[in-house]
Amino acid sequence: MKTIGTANARTPIKLGLLLLLCPILLWLFLLVILPQLTMLNISLQERVAPRIYEYGFSNFIAFFTEPLYWNTFLRTAIMSIIATILTLIIAFPISYYIAKMLRGRAKGLLFVLCLIPFWVSELVRTYGWMILLRESGVISTFLQYIGLVDGPIEFLYTDATIMLGLVYSSMLFMVVPLTSTLDSLDDSYIEAGYDLGGNGFSVFWHIVVPHAKPAIVSGCIVVFMLTLGNYLTPILLGGKSSLWFTEQIFTQFITRFNWQQGSAFGVLLLSISSLIVWLGLKLSRQSFSKVMS
Amino acid sequence: MLNHMEFDLQCTDIVRKFDDFTAVDHVSFAIKKGSFFSILGPSGCGKTTLLRMLAGFDNPTSGEIIIKGKSMNGVAPNKRPVNMVFQHLALFPNMNVSENIAYGLHRQGINKVEIKHRVEQVLARVNLAGSGNKQITQLSGGQKQRIAIARCLVLNPDVLLLDEPLGALDLKLREHMKVELKQLQQEFETTFVYITHDQSEALVMSDQVAVMNHGQFQQVGDPQQLYYQPDNAFVAGFVGDSNKWSASVIDILPDSLKVKTTTGLILSVSKVDNKSLIIGSEVDIFIRPEAVHISQQVTANLQDNHLNIKINNILFDGANSQLLVEEQNSGEEIKVKLPQTAEFMHLQKGDKLQISFPFQQVKTFPKELEVS
Ligand SMILES: Nc1ncnc2c1ncn2[C@@H]1O[C@H](COP(=O)(O)OP(=O)(O)O)[C@@H](O)[C@H]1O
Ligand SMILES: [Mg+2]
Repeated sequence: MKTIGTANARTPIKLGLLLLLCPILLWLFLLVILPQLTMLNISLQERVAPRIYEYGFSNFIAFFTEPLYWNTFLRTAIMSIIATILTLIIAFPISYYIAKMLRGRAKGLLFVLCLIPFWVSELVRTYGWMILLRESGVISTFLQYIGLVDGPIEFLYTDATIMLGLVYSSMLFMVVPLTSTLDSLDDSYIEAGYDLGGNGFSVFWHIVVPHAKPAIVSGCIVVFMLTLGNYLTPILLGGKSSLWFTEQIFTQFITRFNWQQGSAFGVLLLSISSLIVWLGLKLSRQSFSKVMS
Repeated sequence: MLNHMEFDLQCTDIVRKFDDFTAVDHVSFAIKKGSFFSILGPSGCGKTTLLRMLAGFDNPTSGEIIIKGKSMNGVAPNKRPVNMVFQHLALFPNMNVSENIAYGLHRQGINKVEIKHRVEQVLARVNLAGSGNKQITQLSGGQKQRIAIARCLVLNPDVLLLDEPLGALDLKLREHMKVELKQLQQEFETTFVYITHDQSEALVMSDQVAVMNHGQFQQVGDPQQLYYQPDNAFVAGFVGDSNKWSASVIDILPDSLKVKTTTGLILSVSKVDNKSLIIGSEVDIFIRPEAVHISQQVTANLQDNHLNIKINNILFDGANSQLLVEEQNSGEEIKVKLPQTAEFMHLQKGDKLQISFPFQQVKTFPKELEVS
């Protein structure tokens, strides 16, 4: 009797849960899984004659045999990793200052000040940098005006400029999780660290960093993925020399109309970002579910 | 000057102001080596502020802190020979028990073998041998307490500071930890400075207690002194349980005073040294519930206070049971200790009895001017 009762009681709950999950499952399937599978399918097709396709790996072989492709690919991955590390190094002191040094109104104010640039679109922000950095831009003109340089200087279209743009546009995604995590670290832990004889470094390394680790890892994952898949910033600030992998994908799909090759690149980009995120989690001994919670 | 060697900690004229609010107000004291010193006061009276200055997290506006004969002005917290047990213990959650205890030893650059040995030793001394690999979350409240103390004591500090460490524990465990803390202190022979708002903790554990209010020390003494010879009305009211009445002096006798409470009850009370007391002066009088004697027949001692009362309520609390009684003429309510003996077993609400107490037991203090 009893078991039947509970079984009956449980079924509607399960159904309810399923109905509740329906939108998200549909969203996941239609917008994330289905396109990826389709892309994988397209990437495995090779053209044997006009309008005739067969399954094969030629698109992937093309990637590995053409140095421009995999050089761009590696360059994109390495630049993204550097951008992620730079973002972390710059964001950490800012977050620490906001979360631990400031009190009351100043704290909220500074936090909002960090968010304000992100109220305008990435495109507008990037154009902002271009106004500052181009040959006839604000900085160049100013340097000439105060007599530091003789002629106009072009700051745009260098790797350093791309890096600047990437770090700048990623800042928010690092500062927000770090600030809220550091804010939750009770001051007494830091004080206990000093009280037991620790100096600034040992308190930072043994107490602050372990506490902030989940936020550091999740911030890094988000920043890395956004940077790797960024299109606007490298193109606008790096120009023709940007050699960003998303640009290659764009070229294949739009300019060359070679969807098969483009899809292969897309699949490769997804694989490398998954691989690097997995490596990062392994190295920092964090689990994905813990980091994302 | 005082002999430095005898004292582990000396404070002279410590003041700490936050803007124009004075949290700690001209506090001076000296703590003997190896003693258990408590600072007792209601919350908000400045205890934590004072302790944080001793630890070095905060600096006095004026005054000097001397530890083992050395001035601590300008000495950083990590350079002071004191350690602190925090109110919420602050055990590092990312480290296990051994790592927590070893943290301070590592900072001193001691080698690993020695650290391991000392961690095991201190764990054994706090009766937690073999718990080194446990995570902090696996420990019970009392165990966390002991680890927090072990983490400090392993560093052999000259002074251990404790900020209401028992506050978060339930009553039963708190009673147990009181005894245990006292034992640990005696065993390690370390000077403890313990702050609390719980007078029973302070009385049970301490060699010396300082009663603090509004940033000032009201009285420093051993627990018996505070209990039996309070210096002022605040100490009399704060330490232990008391009946407190406002009264005015109606007669001054050679060795006692006659006073009349606001409800019209006339009592003989002990005399105050204060010479300014004249007939009509306002006073506060205190009588402890256990100083009141209950009797069914009249005993004749003219100087004692004899009152006819009616029982309003019986508050049963085991050994701490009390009667709430009402004086028949004035209606003044009095708390009286109810001994759990056969003689008083049958007492019931509404019973009429006599109570008496000697005038010496009634403490009298000139009325304090209200601090506004
Ligand atoms: N950083 C501070 N700024 C301003 N006022 C403070 C600060 N720290 C404590 N106070 C004030 O000092 C008084 C004493 O606080 P505290 O020492 O924490 O009391 P206790 O520990 O005895 O409860 C309180 O009224 C508190 O508001
Ligand atoms: Mg406090």
